[in-house]
Amino acid sequence: MDQAAILDHQFRIAAYVVTWVIQLGYLAWLGLRWQAQKRDAARLSRGR
Amino acid sequence: MKKLAIGIYAAVTVALMAWGFYQAIYVAPNDAMQGEIFRIIFYHVPSAMAAFLFFAISLAGSIGYLSFRRNSPGWAQVSDAWALAGAEVGVVFCTVVLTTGPLWGRRAWGIWWTWDARLTTTLVLWLIYVSYLLLRRFAAGPQVQTLAAVLGIFGALDVPIVYMSNRWWRTQHPAPVFGGAQGSGMDPSMVPAFLWNILAWLAWGILVLILRYHVERQHQKIAAAEVQQALDA
Repeated sequence: MDQAAILDHQFRIAAYVVTWVIQLGYLAWLGLRWQAQKRDAARLSRGR
Repeated sequence: MKKLAIGIYAAVTVALMAWGFYQAIYVAPNDAMQGEIFRIIFYHVPSAMAAFLFFAISLAGSIGYLSFRRNSPGWAQVSDAWALAGAEVGVVFCTVVLTTGPLWGRRAWGIWWTWDARLTTTLVLWLIYVSYLLLRRFAAGPQVQTLAAVLGIFGALDVPIVYMSNRWWRTQHPAPVFGGAQGSGMDPSMVPAFLWNILAWLAWGILVLILRYHVERQHQKIAAAEVQQALDA
C-alpha cells in the first residue's frame, strides 16, 4: 500500500471510531440519566 | 408488551447496524477517484439525513407545544418532550456530521475546514440547537419551554438553507450526489451499501429518540410530583 492509501485507511477508521464514540457516549449518558431518574422516583414514592 | 416491542426493535436495529457496517467495509467498492476515504460517505450522509429528520421532529414538537400550552397542558408536555428529544438527538447526529466531514475534507481537499456556505450553515445549525439545549439546561422559570419552542422553530429554518446551500451557491463541499445536476449520482455498485446505512442509522436514531423521549417524560412526571409534594407539605 502506498502512503496515500495508508492515510486514507487511517482517516476512514478515525471517522468511524469518532462516530461510534459520539453515539455510544450519548447512549451511555442517557442510560445514566435514566438510572438517576429511577432513584429519584423511588425516593419520591418513599417520601409520600 | 411495550418493553418486548422495544427490545425486538433494538435487536433489529443492532442487526441493521452490523449489516450496514459489513456493506460499507466489505461490499461497496473503493471510489475510483477518492479511494477508501470515500467510504466515510456511509456514515457522514446518513447522519446528516438523520439530523434533519430529528430537527424536523423538534420543530413539530415546538409548534405543538405553542399550540397546546393554553388549552391542553398534557399534550403540551408531550409535544415539549418530543421537541427536546428531537433537538438533542439531532445535535448528536449533527456533531457526527461536523467531525466526520473535516476528516474526509482533510484527505479529499487537503484542508480540515473552509468557510463555504454548506459548512458554515451546518455549523450555525449546530450552534442554534446547542444554544437551545443550553437554554433548556440552565434557564429557569415558567417561560423556558415557550422560549425554547420559539428558538426551536427559528432554528429549524436553517435546515432548508443547509440543504439548498450547495445548490444555491458555489461551495468547496461537493455538489449534491442525489437530486443534483444532470450526471450526478452514485455508482450502482455503491447504492445498496448507501441505502442500508441510511436505513440502519435512521433506525438507530429513532431508537435513541424514543429512549430520550421516555427519559424526558419521566423527568416531567418527577418534577410535577415534587411540586405536588411541596404543595401538600
